[in-house]
Order: sequence, then C-alpha cells, then structure tokens
Amino acid sequence: MSGTDEKAGGADAFVPSRRTVLVLGAAAASTVVTIRPALAQTAGSVLNCEIPVPGPHAAGSAIAADGTPVAAGTLGAAPPLARPLRGEEARLLLQGSTPPGINPSSAQAYANYIRRLQAGMSGFTCYASLQMPR
Amino acid sequence: MAGPRYIADPEDCVRSVTLDGLSVLFHRPSGMTHIVASPAPEILVALRQGPADAAELLRRLREAYDFDGDEAADAVDARLAELEQAGLVRRA
Amino acid sequence: MKHRLSLQIGPVSFRIGSAWAEPLDALARLYAGYSEPEDGIADFTVRLEPEQIWRRWIRPSVAIRGDYILPDALPLALAHGLLAAEMGMNLQMALGQKRFLLLHAASAEKDGRALIMTGESGAGKSTLAALLGERGWRLMGDEFALLDLDEGRLHPFPRAVSLKNKAIAVMEQEVPGDRFGPRLEDTPKGTIRHLRPNQEALGRMGESARPALILFPRFGAAEAIRGVGQAEIFMRLTQASTNYVTLGAAGFDALAKLVGACPAAAIDYPDTGTAIGLVEELWREAA
Repeated sequence: MSGTDEKAGGADAFVPSRRTVLVLGAAAASTVVTIRPALAQTAGSVLNCEIPVPGPHAAGSAIAADGTPVAAGTLGAAPPLARPLRGEEARLLLQGSTPPGINPSSAQAYANYIRRLQAGMSGFTCYASLQMPR
Repeated sequence: MAGPRYIADPEDCVRSVTLDGLSVLFHRPSGMTHIVASPAPEILVALRQGPADAAELLRRLREAYDFDGDEAADAVDARLAELEQAGLVRRA
Repeated sequence: MKHRLSLQIGPVSFRIGSAWAEPLDALARLYAGYSEPEDGIADFTVRLEPEQIWRRWIRPSVAIRGDYILPDALPLALAHGLLAAEMGMNLQMALGQKRFLLLHAASAEKDGRALIMTGESGAGKSTLAALLGERGWRLMGDEFALLDLDEGRLHPFPRAVSLKNKAIAVMEQEVPGDRFGPRLEDTPKGTIRHLRPNQEALGRMGESARPALILFPRFGAAEAIRGVGQAEIFMRLTQASTNYVTLGAAGFDALAKLVGACPAAAIDYPDTGTAIGLVEELWREAA
C-alpha cells in the first residue's frame, strides 16, 4: 500500500509515515538480553579467595554432574578436589572453561557445585564476590 | 477474553542507543541495561501509547507495520513475557 | 600505620600503609620515579595488616585492607607483600572508582590516540601492552583503563605491569633488569614479576588520549582477525568494567559513546611477534 498512513492525534500518536516490514520472529526466539556485569574479569587481580570442593559440611563426598555432593565413588561423579579452588579457577569453571590441573570431564560438576553454594557454606562469599555487580 | 494489560515506562525512563541494528537500553528505574532485538523496541514504542493487552498491541503494530499473521499472536505474547521478565514492561 | 608510602598514578593517588617495612621497601623500589600526590591527599588508602595480631611476627600473613575490602579475602605470605600492595590498589580502584568508567583493559597511546585491549586474564594483554611500550607506543596501563565520563577520553593509569609465568622471560629480554621487581614464586596467581613502565610512560602520565581502536586479543590460537558486532562489544565491555553498574546512566552514556566511535576487532595470535604485527596493521586501518 503506497502513500502515508496518517491519523490525527497528539504527541503520543503512533504515526510512522511509511509501512515497514516488522519481523516478529518465532515465539521461541529470544530478543531481550539483560546485561549482568560482575567483578568477574578482574577478580583474580583483586581477590585472593578459595572455594573448597566439597566444603567441610560434605567432606570426602564426590560431586554429581548437577553439583550436589554424593557418596564417594559414586559412578559418574567427579572426585573431591585435593585443594580448594582459587577465585581465578572458580571464575574459569563458571564460564565453561577448564582451569589447568582440573579434569575436563569433571569441570561441569564442579561449576554446578559452585553455583549451588548458599550463604553460610564455605566459599560462598568468594563465589558471590565473583558474581556481584558493584 | 482480553489477556492481561501491560504498561511500558514513558520514554524519559529509558535511554536508548542503536548499535549494529540492535537497541541497547538503559532502564533508569531499575538501573539495568538490556540489549533488545526487533520486534521488542517496536513493541515498547507501541505500548507507550497507553496500556494494552496482547490483542490490542497486535492491532497497534498492524497499523504501522506489515507482518505475517500466522504466528504473530504467539510471538507478541512471547515478547511481552520476555519484556516483563526484564522489567521493561509490567502489568497494568 | 607503622610504615607509609604515597603514590600518584595518572589521575589517581594512593596512600599505602603497612605493618611491615619489607613490602613498602619493595614497592618504593618498584615505583622509583613516581611522584607523591600533590598536597599530600590520597584518593584511596590501602592497608597491609596482620591477619591476627600475632601474625605480624609468627608466620607473617598479610591481610589486604583499606577504604574498600572484599569479604572472604585470604591473606598472603609476607614474602608476597608486594603483590598484596598491588592487589590492594586494584581492589580500591575496582570497588571505589567513580570519577571514571573503569575497564579491565590494557591501553597504549600513539599520536594522541589510544588503543584499548581487553579480555580474560591470560589473554596476553599485559604482555602486549608492555611490548608496545618498548616499540614506539606509550604504555598507558596494563590493568585498568580509565574512561572520562564527560569527554570520553582515556586516561593513563601506569601501574607496574604484572607479568605472569612465561611473560616474565619475554620482557626480561626486552628491558633492563633495574625496571623489574623481585621474582615472586608460588603466589596465588602463579609466578609473578612486576615491571616498571619506562620514562616516557611516567613522564606523560598526565596526558589523556582519544580512544581509537578496541581489540580483544586471544593468545594461543592461529593468527586471525575477526570482526565483533557493536552490541557484543558493548556487552563485553560491561563484563570488563568493575563500575559500569554503579555509574548508572553516566556509565551507559560513556560506554555507548565509546562503542559508537571506536572500531573493534578480535585478534588471535600464536606468538607476540604476530600479535604486534596484527596490532600495527589494524591501527593503520583505524586511522
């Protein structure tokens, strides 16, 4: 349709002067990405912190793929870490990478363990500091 | 059988810049930043005319734009849900 | 505190206090040639304190404190006191800086224009910036780039360059030994050696520059140059900023202006020689 569509109206009138095609996209597509900045990239330079995996509350447990502590030796579970994760290493795991010295097939489990940390659990504020926007 | 009505904050609540065809929005009331792709910015503009449910919104969009009718209603519902979750629109 | 040192670094000044002499002696040697803040007033304070009172002497353990602290921060060994002082200064900037939009990035200047290099730790940006500083560029900083909120100019923040592991040997071949701090082994960040920026960087630390090119370098991959969409650049820079959120609309405006005005590219490189070549090539194209 050529020509302009005009409607009398006040300053709020929705009056484009030419019709354009608007691609609505599929319902399932995502069109809004919320930016969630964090201290993350700088964390290694400002913070010396540690996250034991698992924490003392579950000492000796293995870590299931979803991050929950399970009985040691459970099939498919990642072994407990001999030494706590440094802040830098935790950050790498959270972004899907594998820090040196960590078994790549265990990385996902450890990352999920970190994500599940609650207030009061050992390493929680370290994790929170890596994530918190300032 | 009208669905829920939505409101978008007025224009002065949002600072917007277009980068590469995408809109980057700073929403003052929440202090949050969002990157939005079409048709989300167009929906926000249409919603600023006044509160509307999905059906009314679809009507406003049809007045201004050409688009395919089949999945339109589903797409608009989905976009509204996303915008609501981001805090850019809320229920009236 | 028993021992004190004050430093002016670009537009920001620090007062560092310490319960022990050693870290500040090392800091003073590393920062030889830097001035004290004018009128003695410091923007930020760092304090190196014993974790518990008795840890001042027995297995001394340095807690990093100051105007701003992070909970759960672990102390460092006294042998790494210099690193603690550096981390303390970084911490104050990361949490307290409000005059500038802070980007975790290295930056260098040529002809009044600034190159910004940002990315994950270990990407090689510190080493690249340090090398550029010895190859005709002026090093503005290796850790933080300061973006002016009003005019959008980049301000220098030439702290000692923090070199890790293999990068140490690279720079030891380029630069005389008297510009280096001690070699610190087994720190939480691996092996570290600090490098003082050269005379030009120090002498011109009051000069800002107009941002002209943003690069996302990645070390360890085959040579490549990839374009990056502007919205993605915006997002990546918010991830690289420690104070984007606190600055609100002013931060948004400053970043939008930077991204709108500056070309950008991602570069992959297998070695520093290739990296420098890519940088120079892209710099010419951005002119």
